[in-house]
Amino acid sequence: MSLARFLTKRLLQGGFVVWGVVTVVFGLRVIAPGDPANVLLPPDVGPEVRQQVIADLGLDQPLHVQYWEFVSGIPTGDLGTSLTTGTLVSHRVARSVPATLELAVAATMVAVVIAIPLGVVSATNRHEAPDYGATLFSLVGISTPNFWLGVMLIIILSVQLNLFPTSQRAIGIPAIFDLLVSAKFATAADGFTTWLWYITLPAITLGTYFTALITRLTRSGMLDELGKTYVRASRAKGLPESLVRYKHVLRNTLIPVITVVGLQLGTLIGGAVITEFVFDWPGLGQVLINSINARDWPMVQGSLIVISVGFVVVNIVVDTLYTYVNPRVGFD
Amino acid sequence: MIAPRTIRSLKRGLNRNVLAKVGIVVVVVVLLVAVFAPLVAPHKPSTQNLENARSPPLGFTKATTEEVPVQDNGSVVFEDGQIVTENRTVYENATMDHPLGTDGNGRDILSRLIYGARVSLLVGFLGTGLAMLVGVAVGLVAGFYRGKVDDVLMRSADVMLAFPSIVLAIALIGVLGDALEQSIPDPFVQSGLAEAFRSAVGLPTGMPESTVVPGTIIIVVALVNWVWFARVARGEALSLREQSYVKAARALGASDGTILLRHVLPNAITPILVLGTIQIAAIILLESALSFLGFSSANVSWGFDIALGRQYQSTAWWIAAMPGLAIVITVVGLNLVGDWLRDALDPGIEGEGGV
Repeated sequence: MSLARFLTKRLLQGGFVVWGVVTVVFGLRVIAPGDPANVLLPPDVGPEVRQQVIADLGLDQPLHVQYWEFVSGIPTGDLGTSLTTGTLVSHRVARSVPATLELAVAATMVAVVIAIPLGVVSATNRHEAPDYGATLFSLVGISTPNFWLGVMLIIILSVQLNLFPTSQRAIGIPAIFDLLVSAKFATAADGFTTWLWYITLPAITLGTYFTALITRLTRSGMLDELGKTYVRASRAKGLPESLVRYKHVLRNTLIPVITVVGLQLGTLIGGAVITEFVFDWPGLGQVLINSINARDWPMVQGSLIVISVGFVVVNIVVDTLYTYVNPRVGFD
Repeated sequence: MIAPRTIRSLKRGLNRNVLAKVGIVVVVVVLLVAVFAPLVAPHKPSTQNLENARSPPLGFTKATTEEVPVQDNGSVVFEDGQIVTENRTVYENATMDHPLGTDGNGRDILSRLIYGARVSLLVGFLGTGLAMLVGVAVGLVAGFYRGKVDDVLMRSADVMLAFPSIVLAIALIGVLGDALEQSIPDPFVQSGLAEAFRSAVGLPTGMPESTVVPGTIIIVVALVNWVWFARVARGEALSLREQSYVKAARALGASDGTILLRHVLPNAITPILVLGTIQIAAIILLESALSFLGFSSANVSWGFDIALGRQYQSTAWWIAAMPGLAIVITVVGLNLVGDWLRDALDPGIEGEGGV
């Protein structure tokens, strides 16, 4: 199958899933108990005011009309208006996306930079101290709840040793970026260290599960590959061991690693929600948790849709890349 | 249902693998502690003692700096009309009475962990059981009938998987609220066994009459995780329906229900049970995250206690540290058992892991 046809098929599937997500999100609001008017109004208003507010929200319409209103607004970026603050949901969500992306990318980088070398060292020193260390680390890493890890990092490194901040970053990623690209070197360096100072603990918190997982996969994948005949053949024809390990074996190991990492992106995004809560990080997860607690349904719906659609899009990208880098898998 | 060959390969895996034995011991100990909580907990988990709040765990000393008036021959010294004070460090040692220390309200942390194990394991086992029931039913039907049924069920599974599990769980809790909370009477306390045993060994009596079971959380974790079971069961049903013994049963006139329950399900059970073990760990992590975020109404829970401990992050680290260690130890144990089963039975499955 050609790349174009593969993409068309994958995008159609993605479109279907997005439609399903939007429908589920609409349905959640419909079956949720409680009257949205109650969020807006003090309890002692008269029935006329209440009726008026319900009509303003469009909640007096039949369900299929409400559904159409909801669905048809989405392609134009209209996600409604917050019940508590009156701001546009799309604005609030758009402001929060960069912080979440920043955190997710940083965590993935932490994971890849630590895990792949660790997995390689572990596999090439099988049944020796580094291998046991790495295996123990990955076992504990996949079993540790990230919110607890975050709290412990704050207690040990921020409160006791005073190495990192304990609270929210006042400055957003665009401002940090401005500092970095501004001509003054001192400011840029300051900007970078400030950025590092704030993001290190959240990135470790979110990245540890993935570091552990990728270490485990790299180790077992590499052990599998090292036992294959092409390795013996390469060694027999006199290739240096480093070339065998890093050019051939590692490359083949990374393919299943990419697959599983792609499958686990949901865990990464879910983990980001909790990490943001622990570190007061101004991202989408915060928006979701706060709006659920406030029963601010338009905001809940907006953040759910953006999180899930983002997840679907990333999945399509990973699938395509994966098919592209792995010649053994066709586009089908 | 379980072939002798399977049991042999399980045993072989166990003999080779020390870690699997460790895992089994951990899981069994946590399970026993959770079941017999009213007998083994040193204190009632809700008894407050503000006099003895934030007492450190054994092996640690709590140092607090207090501002105290300077005394001169027993009288307070004044300077410019102000009482002269000095900073003095007060040391407090751990006591055997509270081996893991006490929390911000002076409640015994060990007792809270023991009762927290009940909630975590109840949610873990019941949630996994429910997810397994729903997922296996859906998956077997989808794989067995294929065609339209399969398409509809599997496309809805795709939609479910488009939500990260914690995100879907939070949204569902927003819908369900805490309407499904249940208090289950504690059989040990109701029967008087707990009182008798505790007074015999000299422990304080008056344990809680009932356990709060967070029904909403159980339903929600099952709704979030059934998809993994559905996928595995569907895959098994797809291959098993082509087996000759299924065709033979059909030729003999067996109904679809009989074929599914008597011939397909028993042969699909191995990968489902392996997935179940891994899912218990994942669901315990999910439950702890939800109660950490404040979405559970259980009055004792590991995740919730970590959230409480955050308030004392600068004065009493152990309040947040201990429940987390309990989670890590339990989940490590379950993962070790899961690894052993997976390596020994090699069902070739994957599933979403932790939080």
